Amino acid sequence: MSRVDNLDEKLKKYRLNRHELGLITERLGREPEGVEWALFSALWSEHCSYKSSKVHLKKLFNKSKRVLESFGENAGVVDLGAGERIAFKIESHNHPSFIEPYQGAATGVGGILRDIFTMGARPIALADYLCFGEPAAPRMRALMDGVVRGIGGYGNCVGVPTVTGQTEFHESYNSNILVNAMAVGLFSPGDRIFLSKARGAGNWVVYAGAKTGRDGVHGASMASESFGADSAAKRPTVQIGDPFFEKLLIESCLEVMAQDLVVAIQDMGAAGLTSSSFEMASKGQVGLRLQLDDVPLRDPTMSPEEILLSESQERMLLICEPEKFSAIQAIFHRWGLDACKIGEVQDERVVELRWHGETISRIDPDILVEQAPQYMRAFKPWKALHRVAGEADVKTGVEDGARFLRSLLGHVHGTSRSWIYKQYDSRVGAKTVRDCAESVAIQRLPDSGRGLGIVLGCRPHMMRWDAREGGIDAVAYPALELAAKGFEPLAVTDCLNYGNPEKEHIMSEFVASVEAMSTMCEKLDTPIISGNVSFYNETMGRNITSTPATGLVGLRDHVDAIPHGVFTREGEAVYLLRLPMAAVGGAAQEITGQAPTGYGQLEPSLIAPFARLLRVLTGARNEGPLVSSSRVVGKFGLAYALARMCAGVVGCRIEEDALKTIRGDLTVDDLFREHLYEVILTALPGREAELEAAVRELRGALTMASFVRIGRTIGAQLEIGSLLKAPVASLAESYQTGVWAAMEKEVRA
Amino acid sequence: MSARKVGVLRFPGTNCDRDVWQAIEMSGGQPEWLWHADLFDPSAYARLILPGGFSYGDYLRSGALAARAKAMQSVREAAERGVPVLGICNGFQILTEAKLLPGALIKNESLRFNDDWVGLRMRNSCRYFASQVASQVASQARSAHVMRLPIAHADGRYYAEDDELKRLEDNGQIWLTYEKNPNGSIADIAGVMNASGNVAALMPHPERAMADWMGGHDGLSFFMHGE
Repeated sequence: MSRVDNLDEKLKKYRLNRHELGLITERLGREPEGVEWALFSALWSEHCSYKSSKVHLKKLFNKSKRVLESFGENAGVVDLGAGERIAFKIESHNHPSFIEPYQGAATGVGGILRDIFTMGARPIALADYLCFGEPAAPRMRALMDGVVRGIGGYGNCVGVPTVTGQTEFHESYNSNILVNAMAVGLFSPGDRIFLSKARGAGNWVVYAGAKTGRDGVHGASMASESFGADSAAKRPTVQIGDPFFEKLLIESCLEVMAQDLVVAIQDMGAAGLTSSSFEMASKGQVGLRLQLDDVPLRDPTMSPEEILLSESQERMLLICEPEKFSAIQAIFHRWGLDACKIGEVQDERVVELRWHGETISRIDPDILVEQAPQYMRAFKPWKALHRVAGEADVKTGVEDGARFLRSLLGHVHGTSRSWIYKQYDSRVGAKTVRDCAESVAIQRLPDSGRGLGIVLGCRPHMMRWDAREGGIDAVAYPALELAAKGFEPLAVTDCLNYGNPEKEHIMSEFVASVEAMSTMCEKLDTPIISGNVSFYNETMGRNITSTPATGLVGLRDHVDAIPHGVFTREGEAVYLLRLPMAAVGGAAQEITGQAPTGYGQLEPSLIAPFARLLRVLTGARNEGPLVSSSRVVGKFGLAYALARMCAGVVGCRIEEDALKTIRGDLTVDDLFREHLYEVILTALPGREAELEAAVRELRGALTMASFVRIGRTIGAQLEIGSLLKAPVASLAESYQTGVWAAMEKEVRA
Repeated sequence: MSARKVGVLRFPGTNCDRDVWQAIEMSGGQPEWLWHADLFDPSAYARLILPGGFSYGDYLRSGALAARAKAMQSVREAAERGVPVLGICNGFQILTEAKLLPGALIKNESLRFNDDWVGLRMRNSCRYFASQVASQVASQARSAHVMRLPIAHADGRYYAEDDELKRLEDNGQIWLTYEKNPNGSIADIAGVMNASGNVAALMPHPERAMADWMGGHDGLSFFMHGE
């Protein structure tokens, strides 16, 4: 083999290109040697370096007076006032979960939890955003079963409740499912926030937690590649999780931090010891001297390269003053864990790796961390390029409203997700006010008694219609869901799942949707403060729907009298609060085999005051509550939203004439279109006039918004004029089909 | 000994410990941690609680390792002396593994973890736990009274051999039964007592139903002092 072939082989193995090798050589002043190839492979991977996205992410709206920590730390931190703060973040584990669903999903949960407690916050909630392929696609039921068991297996054992989630299905995910996990942690008054900046020459570098094994070696670079036909062969790169070990790690780390024994701390996540050590050094503008021989190993024959790249789970790296080490060790020992010294901090900004008495690498950490290449991938400015020619006449083609409605409620896309969330512990921690059965999860903050709302966003059918509108909607829709329960949206985390960024149309969608999200966030004053990017969700040339999943948190003064998600009392006035900007046939069209069409444009500058209006109507008011129940109209339009509110024994009668005053000519078809945005509200008995007056008074300049009484809650029937009639019990029965049974039904069909 | 002092056992992997602590405080008790690796003085506590979770990861049978922890020697001693002991979820599993309660808890019939709310009937009252409910039940039509509590478990299916089950029936040791069986438990059993009635346990989580904002407050009575 010639020397050139040899080099090409090496570049391929380490997933670097010739241009990048040139950069490395220039910055080091020499060619990389030995383990250094592996270091660059990991830290310059898309997964660790964000090399295709960083130029765009820099422009994200990420500041507000509440933000205490943002990108650059393990998770974003928001100040809630009253001494309470929360850390939160969402992260993808797509590739591992497709290869090995149980462990992939489980370690996704474990990894995001470590990002939270590594900052000193106690994890109080988990949420999962999942996208699966068509039910009949190969392995799809096994994938869903494995992912759900994996999330439950880890979260239940570690003792953090899973309080909300979103599950989508589409053929574009057939060979590339999405598993995004979000965690929220709470700093109670007096708890300190810990950062990952290494400091203080002579301080010790301490390794704590599980021993290092061969699992997950090259995981970060694997996650940065498109899938070919050989994905099963990549199973050994998937990490194995141990939630029991993680539970011990949470308790011991929080105890070590409560006693103020550490200077800095970071978990070993993607690219393991390499990323944690180099990032801690780079952030602290110091150097480290690491003895790789002292790293606890499961297999003593592991090579330095394997030690550096292992993604074994449940491991932490701490920096401490030497005299505090024995106290740290005692705490870890008490919890049955080990902690040992593996190096020291030094002033010289060099990370020096020692192995068997020799120095095997000396590199300025900034070269690996800060100076990774950044690419401006080709993209086109957004001009509704991908929007399917949107005309006013959106046809869903529905004739028999009641029948179609029932079919939606029993369909994979529209049926109950209880089969999934009943496998998750939703109440451990004893803070849960509302769980996965509701549109917004609510945790009660124990010290102040206030409510913390948590909700996920991004509706792939909107992204398939238009990447810009879909990007706005990924923030606007969950923000409205929070507002509809009286929560002030505070901040956003995002998990940007896209295809191959080297393809112009994918990059165009990325840029358009991310800019749109950022604009929406700015108008709402909800900065994006954490998250990750997952590119190369491409299998054999097929890219996923661009899916910028979001997680929003919101705050409410107390948890009393929060509007219900269902009708609870007969005789209440039903209202529609509208901000008409766009309409799509989206989800209902897709279910009937059409391409999604729509018209109009979402205006962030109108959506933000609309959300504020909604929040004031439903929030904690000194004068007492006005609203009994609320729901944002979502996929499948008004009829489906009303049906979801008819989940108990109470139904409603909607007047056709009242609907006509806002929609013009009314057809069955129109009941299944999505008009962006509409919110259904019912007034508490005797508060109608007050509610109507409040809208008039608070609407201000938002003249486009309308508020119309459309009907009244009645006994066990859903009636929409002459267009649709169905007994509530029949709707509930269809909805209770459940997602697993609906999948099996579709496979058989 | 303070009449309000309640010892809360902590094993590695216990994860409802802080919730139980909160519930005891909400009910006016004084919680105190008891560490798995240490013996304790059984006479120092008015009652003991074994909270839920995944002790030692439950990688062996649920509760099997915790049942052999050092602190369980003191729990056993306390039980023999008549100190009231309450097991919740994993605590129930530990008490059956320790043979302080009869029967066993095996995998749910569905073979899946199940998180839900259940209705419970009190078949026999326990002198020490939820006894206020018992007096309420006595004053109402017995069959009409149903408590609502959350469950969250994968190994909650109660099992006992026929002769043992008959003994439980005859001795009035069946404490709570499910209104609608969620896991395949024999005779719909959700909670049992020992023969002398001072050791009792249930699979549902009363500490998660302490206030209206939690979805109900039927759990309160489990932490109030009976006797």
